[in-house]
Amino acid sequence: MSLVERPDDFETRRKHLSSLSDDELQARFWELVGKIVSPLVEEARTHTTPSIERSVLLRMGFSSVEAKALVHRLNERGLLAHGAGRLILELALKKKIPLREAGEALVQGRYLNEVAP
Amino acid sequence: MKLTADKKLDLSEVLEDLESYRPRRKGWTWRKGIENQEIGAFVYKDTSENLSHCVPLTSAHAFGDIDPQCDMVITTEIASGNFEDDLRRMRMAAWHGADHIMVIRTTGQSHIDGLIEGTPEGIGGIPITRKQVRATRKALDAIEDEVGRPINFHSYVSGVAGPEVAVLFAEEGMNGAHQDPQYNVLYRGVNMHRSFVDAAEAKTLMADAAILQLDGAHNANATAKEAWKVTPELFVQHAINTAYSRAVGMPAELIALSTVPPTAPPAPKLRLDLPYAVALRELFEGYKFRAQQNTRYIEADTHEASVTHVLDTLISRLTSADIQSTITPDEGRNIPWHYNNVAGVNTARQTLMGIDGITQLLELKQDGVLREQARELKERAVLFLEEILEGGGYYAAVAAGQFVDQGYYPERKGDGIVRDPEAGDGAGSVIPRAADYGAPVCGHFGASLYHRRDGKPCAEYGGCTLCDPTKIQYIDELDAEDNVDMRLKQTLADERQGLLRPEVEKHGDGIVCVTLFVPESPQVAEAAALEMARRMGLKDPEVISRRLMHPSEGSVFEIKGVLDVAIRVADLKLPAREAPLPESEIEAWVRGRDIHLVAATVGEDEHSVGLHEILDIKHGGIEKYGFHCHVLGTSVPVERVIDAAQEENARAVLISTIVSHGNVHAQHMRRLHQIARQRKLRQRLVLIAGGTQVTHELARRCGLDGGFGRGTTGQDVASFLVHKLRDQRID
Repeated sequence: MSLVERPDDFETRRKHLSSLSDDELQARFWELVGKIVSPLVEEARTHTTPSIERSVLLRMGFSSVEAKALVHRLNERGLLAHGAGRLILELALKKKIPLREAGEALVQGRYLNEVAP
Repeated sequence: MKLTADKKLDLSEVLEDLESYRPRRKGWTWRKGIENQEIGAFVYKDTSENLSHCVPLTSAHAFGDIDPQCDMVITTEIASGNFEDDLRRMRMAAWHGADHIMVIRTTGQSHIDGLIEGTPEGIGGIPITRKQVRATRKALDAIEDEVGRPINFHSYVSGVAGPEVAVLFAEEGMNGAHQDPQYNVLYRGVNMHRSFVDAAEAKTLMADAAILQLDGAHNANATAKEAWKVTPELFVQHAINTAYSRAVGMPAELIALSTVPPTAPPAPKLRLDLPYAVALRELFEGYKFRAQQNTRYIEADTHEASVTHVLDTLISRLTSADIQSTITPDEGRNIPWHYNNVAGVNTARQTLMGIDGITQLLELKQDGVLREQARELKERAVLFLEEILEGGGYYAAVAAGQFVDQGYYPERKGDGIVRDPEAGDGAGSVIPRAADYGAPVCGHFGASLYHRRDGKPCAEYGGCTLCDPTKIQYIDELDAEDNVDMRLKQTLADERQGLLRPEVEKHGDGIVCVTLFVPESPQVAEAAALEMARRMGLKDPEVISRRLMHPSEGSVFEIKGVLDVAIRVADLKLPAREAPLPESEIEAWVRGRDIHLVAATVGEDEHSVGLHEILDIKHGGIEKYGFHCHVLGTSVPVERVIDAAQEENARAVLISTIVSHGNVHAQHMRRLHQIARQRKLRQRLVLIAGGTQVTHELARRCGLDGGFGRGTTGQDVASFLVHKLRDQRID
């Protein structure tokens, strides 16, 4: 892809800004920034990643080694969209076992078929 | 764990019981500013609370050893590769005024998908792991108790494991962290979607733990050839990270902009950098500023780097800064050496003491060029934002190479960094959340079944690790070979045997640096300098700095090499250092004995300050004990001094001799002894010399009774006189 090369046309480009007061210019700066970040924030609100899911499991009391194995197993089964933490918590509640026990069982490959959204 | 000044940091104690260690606080700490603070003879305008233990600037000797602490937090960046070596470096930096310790991560940690555990060795930084963070924080707790001021610990939440690192930092009480998804995208080749989605979670966790966030915009300065031309874009990068952080809930007081004055002399630095600094602070009013010193234009000359850093620090004071970050002056030539961390901190400390209160005397002219340039920069930044939106948003703009183009925007050189939004590290790993997505933990961002108006999301299982730290899983080591215990074997063996080696970076690395001037043309001179270093016994000598003095008259070189020598402490012969007599004992003996002394600066020498400090009552000199001092002034011939001693029936002569060209100071001392002997006064007179190049041993070799160098006090001299005169049994 050939990239844009352009001489410094600041004087012609700035015409529409020249009449703005300093405060108005500042307000315009932040308004434009707001428009740029808003779709990025929306994407974050509605998506997750393996790292986010591992970070949830760390907070639920799993070690980094366990979190990695658990997220890997759940991702293989296409289940991360429901939240790794939620799936393991639901499994623990269903089996009436402590949370860590449910996670440890999954790491060892047990109950995998019982994990479901 | 408690530290005392006379003991080294005990690494075994640091590593003990880490599994049960908990940080004593969370969140960032600012210095407590004190207006109009009286310190020594002065009233300071921009200082904060004093330290309980410190190493003052060397000139402080003339001002009662004061060490005023500026009101900005002072940062030092540490990157040795072994955290156990970093700890000693942190302690030394803290004694010189650093209260923000930034630990650089090992090369490549950005690309590791998950947390690292244990204490493996790093390259250009340390692998950030729970054990290292914990051990470091534990040591910093002890160091902050020792110096009497809280120390902020800081590292990086970037790469493809951002949310996990953020959890680690929140759990372990990290106080500050870099977090900026743009950094991942532009410089680390991490997929854009992954980087921004991860960032929202990481920032939420950081806000929850009150961790101060620094952004990554300053990296554009470091990358661009002409760093002053990327300034409009820097506003844009700061703004994107700031607005993104605010949108995910981070409060303004936790957001710090990482900003660097972009140029260095011989560029007209302040004329370019000041309008930029002013415009930045206006656009981002309400946020914090972490002013970094310039690294872009540092070469191998540490002195030149320091001068640039003084000017950077001046800009911080003339505009504003909440944190003054320091750069080690040797960053342009090697991995920073620990004493250069101290040098960097001292550059900021010395500058900020020196310009204390300057804003009461000076203000920036608000009409003319400053205003015009600030306005122009802001307009260029607004145009940059307009083009991002016209082109379809942030991802499209990066794909089109709009960022880190060398042109002065809207000028474009067509050499920007280009990234494909669907490629990069972690591409394709971002997953849409299902309607029943849930994350039953605190510090979580975005859609989740567990977001409740009442009660915590982790209530169902008794609380997450952020609420109940006892649930944190601590892993000690995963690698039986690459860990701190293995590395410490050598260190501890040396210590047990009482062996000492020189070092600059890691324990006992043996590296030394010699300075050589060689009077030849550069190429010949350099070859000769290296050969000289080899003959000094240095292994692997390497030129780390070459400065031309004149194309044919010569160059000066700094050469590092390994001095493979271990010194056994037990074999060292230390000069005996007696403690001076107590003041009351001196005075009790002197008063009433009517003891006269004659003093002068001898030779062609106009220095008088040192002598007055030893003699004058107002400087705490020996007059106060009751000696009668006859001061003859400066540039006094040695004969004249002895004449006066005879006239005054003196019992002692004190000469000051500062100038030492051609060993003239030693000649004066010898002459004093000879003339006293010729006149048969030698038995009666105690002869003493003082001066910066004088030592007790040298004075004794010249026939005198004693000599005193730098750092001598009136009490030292008075005590010596009393000992000598008592021995002569004068009554």
